Amino acid sequence: MVKTESLVEQIVKEVLKKLENVEIAAPATQSSDDANQEWEMIIEEIGEAKQGVNVDEVVIGVSPGFYIKFKKNIIGIPLGNILREIISGITEQGLKARIVRVKHTADVGFIAHTAAKLSGSGIGIGIQSRGTVAIHQKDLQPLNNLELFPQCPVLTLETYRAIGRNVALYAKGESPAPVPVQNDQMARPKYQAIAAVMHNFETKYVQTGAKPVELKVSFARKGGNKSDR
Amino acid sequence: MRSKRFEVLAKRPVNQDGIIAEWPEVGLIAVNSPNDPKPSIKIENGKIVEMDGKKREEFDMIEQFIADYAINIEMAEKAMGMDSLEIARMLVDINVPREEIVKIVSGLTPAKVVEVVNHLNVVEIMMAIQKMRAKKRPGSQAHVTNLRDNPVLIAADAAEAALRGFDELETTVGITRYAPFNALALLVGSQTGRGGVLTQDALEESFELTIGMRGFTSYAETISVYGTEQVFVDGDDTPWSKAFLASAYASRGLKMRFTSGTGSECQMGFAEGKSMLYLEARCVMIAKGAGVQGLQNGSISCIGVPGAVPGGIRAVAAENLITMMEDLEVASGNDQTFSHSDIRRTARTLLLMLPGTDLIFSGYSAVPNYDNMFAGSNFDAEDFDDYLMLQRDLMVEGGVSPVTEDEVIAVRNKAARALQSVFKKLNLPPITDEEVEAATYAHGSKDMPPRDVNADLKAATELMEKGLTGLDVVKALAESGFTDVAENVLNMLKQRIAGDYLQTSAVLDKDFNIDSAVNNSNDYKGPGTGFRLSKERWERIKNVPQALKPEDLA
Amino acid sequence: MIDEKTLEIIVREVLTNLTSDKGTQNQQKTASSSLPKLDPKRDYPLAKNKPELAKSITGKTINEITLQAVREGKVLPDDLKISPETLLAQAEIAEAAGRKQLANNFRRAAELTKVPDKRILEIYNALRPYRSTKEELLAIADELDNAYGAKVCAAFVREAAEVYERRGRLKGME
Repeated sequence: MVKTESLVEQIVKEVLKKLENVEIAAPATQSSDDANQEWEMIIEEIGEAKQGVNVDEVVIGVSPGFYIKFKKNIIGIPLGNILREIISGITEQGLKARIVRVKHTADVGFIAHTAAKLSGSGIGIGIQSRGTVAIHQKDLQPLNNLELFPQCPVLTLETYRAIGRNVALYAKGESPAPVPVQNDQMARPKYQAIAAVMHNFETKYVQTGAKPVELKVSFARKGGNKSDR
Repeated sequence: MRSKRFEVLAKRPVNQDGIIAEWPEVGLIAVNSPNDPKPSIKIENGKIVEMDGKKREEFDMIEQFIADYAINIEMAEKAMGMDSLEIARMLVDINVPREEIVKIVSGLTPAKVVEVVNHLNVVEIMMAIQKMRAKKRPGSQAHVTNLRDNPVLIAADAAEAALRGFDELETTVGITRYAPFNALALLVGSQTGRGGVLTQDALEESFELTIGMRGFTSYAETISVYGTEQVFVDGDDTPWSKAFLASAYASRGLKMRFTSGTGSECQMGFAEGKSMLYLEARCVMIAKGAGVQGLQNGSISCIGVPGAVPGGIRAVAAENLITMMEDLEVASGNDQTFSHSDIRRTARTLLLMLPGTDLIFSGYSAVPNYDNMFAGSNFDAEDFDDYLMLQRDLMVEGGVSPVTEDEVIAVRNKAARALQSVFKKLNLPPITDEEVEAATYAHGSKDMPPRDVNADLKAATELMEKGLTGLDVVKALAESGFTDVAENVLNMLKQRIAGDYLQTSAVLDKDFNIDSAVNNSNDYKGPGTGFRLSKERWERIKNVPQALKPEDLA
Repeated sequence: MIDEKTLEIIVREVLTNLTSDKGTQNQQKTASSSLPKLDPKRDYPLAKNKPELAKSITGKTINEITLQAVREGKVLPDDLKISPETLLAQAEIAEAAGRKQLANNFRRAAELTKVPDKRILEIYNALRPYRSTKEELLAIADELDNAYGAKVCAAFVREAAEVYERRGRLKGME
């Protein structure tokens, strides 16, 4: 059960706590983060998401409950780190990443499709709290996609960065080789029920008919040290 | 300090499984959610105006479809007036024939069907499955896939799976554009192993139908339906679009069944707080209403969800039973990795294997699980001998036959060579003798030399664009001297103009005789009736090659 | 407890359905009235027991399709498409075996044999959620009705249009 009141309170507290250590900037573009550094985020909604016109942008659509109920994905990777890697993968190819929150659906395929339709390049990516990702193109059927990574437990930060890179390459009109993923036959018995629980928390934030909103995302190092990027 | 015993227990495979407590509010509960509706029905002027406590004006799409298409109005008031416990007892009463129960069930609402099966314990569910299965003879289906979509290996593995006795083979792809080659290799391989094996290629709905129309496959089953309207729509379909698709398949003479399973609605986040089994009963009735001959269920790809909650595996067997009660063919799952524990995964399968279903597995991985592109099955190629021993120990038909190494090697080699010839005749990228040799002796794709994937993908696309069909395959086989395989492939194509295998639970034997719920219906009425192992079949099952004979020891 | 009367009625109905084809008459007025009555026990499978009914849309019966004929190029892809008559015969068998819904599916399928492959796929996609306006669905229904004589399928699509409207699943309603 999600109590809106306590939730709001919790968010406000965290926002206040973090305001001191804010870094309003894009993440590093050179190399991957120090794996031990945990990144937190401050996510602000800044109005209805606009239709992009720049062909050098891709849109990242995050799920309705992304970073609200869960701060880490299904195997405990901080969502801040994941988002930074995806963005880095995109920007290192010289493209821009715009982030929106999709509110009308929690399905990763539809989130990615919504992002693709908003994207100036027509390429979008969708991500859920548990870490599942899809890459989409605006003219495809919603449940078809360019690449889908349904097995979130096997995704590493390197994989997320490679996904970001492929998103950028699609946006440039290239046909990159799909990002290779580990195939773990036993991920289902281990994680499927947990994934279902996470997804059901996620869907509590779905608002039928609500439009996607533009997000401003700031990253902060966990532990209070001001970022020195 | 930790208990050493608990340390040992913590390391047991079963504790790798993700087990969770019930959460009824979101439908994370196998049966009897407090939000499940109570059975009811009201009929006015030949129309159902109230069902399971809901008025017609408030029906969602699924409820309207079930009320108008699935429920037999003439039976409804009578059947709904019966005590659920009484119907449950009829299910296990050997004096009540199957047809009588089917008739009663035709008038029941989803909530009532669930109320009936909720009275049964697992042994009673198994007794009921033994009686309610539509076709007399149980059988099984296998998965044939590999990580690299290697067509030579698919042909060899398909031939071996056919030889091992599976009635149906299912493949799918790693890379979508490989789909035509996978279907072609499966067809040629299966018909080399044994004539009459049905084959399918699980793909996106419209592509799958296209491949079928071309004659590269003979049936389809991955046509998913869901138990809540929101999830159905998230699955990008409606009961009407799926029912139309069902008719489209039949219009081309292609067998098909729907797919559903407990846990999918919860997994997709919109179970409306209903129990998994109640929602699955709605799925079964959508399949019934759409007029498809059968359903693949048993949780299928969501097995980790019911598998994690109390009573979940009992509910999964119950959903298979409901499918049979609705007089549909059932392909009963057992097709996905479900547990790290060999004990749990065996127990889960015995519930269906012992009473027997139309297709016990849907399917059994005929390749090692690392090559299984359905993300792994509950049993795989490395379990073949264990499974054969279960059949032999318990004197049960599990749909698989013992084979010798020599005959497997021979049939794999023939299938690989047959595909090599077809590729040559159709000007597809060549299959080398080295590949044929490797496929003959391979366990999995790690044993295969790499192919030129880009050349394959280009050729597979061209094959579709050029409009090649199953007839071209028949010609290529015949011209290469594989006359028997050519005859078998042609016979598969001919099935689609007879339409006999569109009837419920239909499969074909090696001589292309139909075995279905129409000409071989289940007539179980207690000991001495229904399916029994014939003398010949028992001889086959008990004679596993590794059994030592007394004279060998002398 | 089930009362004996109910049980008796049920058993009687089962027996009636098993022994006669009375229950099937209402359903098959659509198109199959010209065919002889089929009995599942005697006539199924058609390929074996009534091969003259197992035929393609081009009129070839199953026994005319041989490997020799294929090698001589006398068999074309359309010769392997099922005929509406065969589907109606299978509908009759399904009905007689007590499977009304399956029979109705075969009847809809019989109508669709005339619709080209590509158009079938398009209509299927148009029936998916949020793909079509009500007018577009009604136009498809008219097309099925007028161009292909697919009356049952047309009614089915019209019904879908109504349901999608009531449940907010038409184009633009997402």
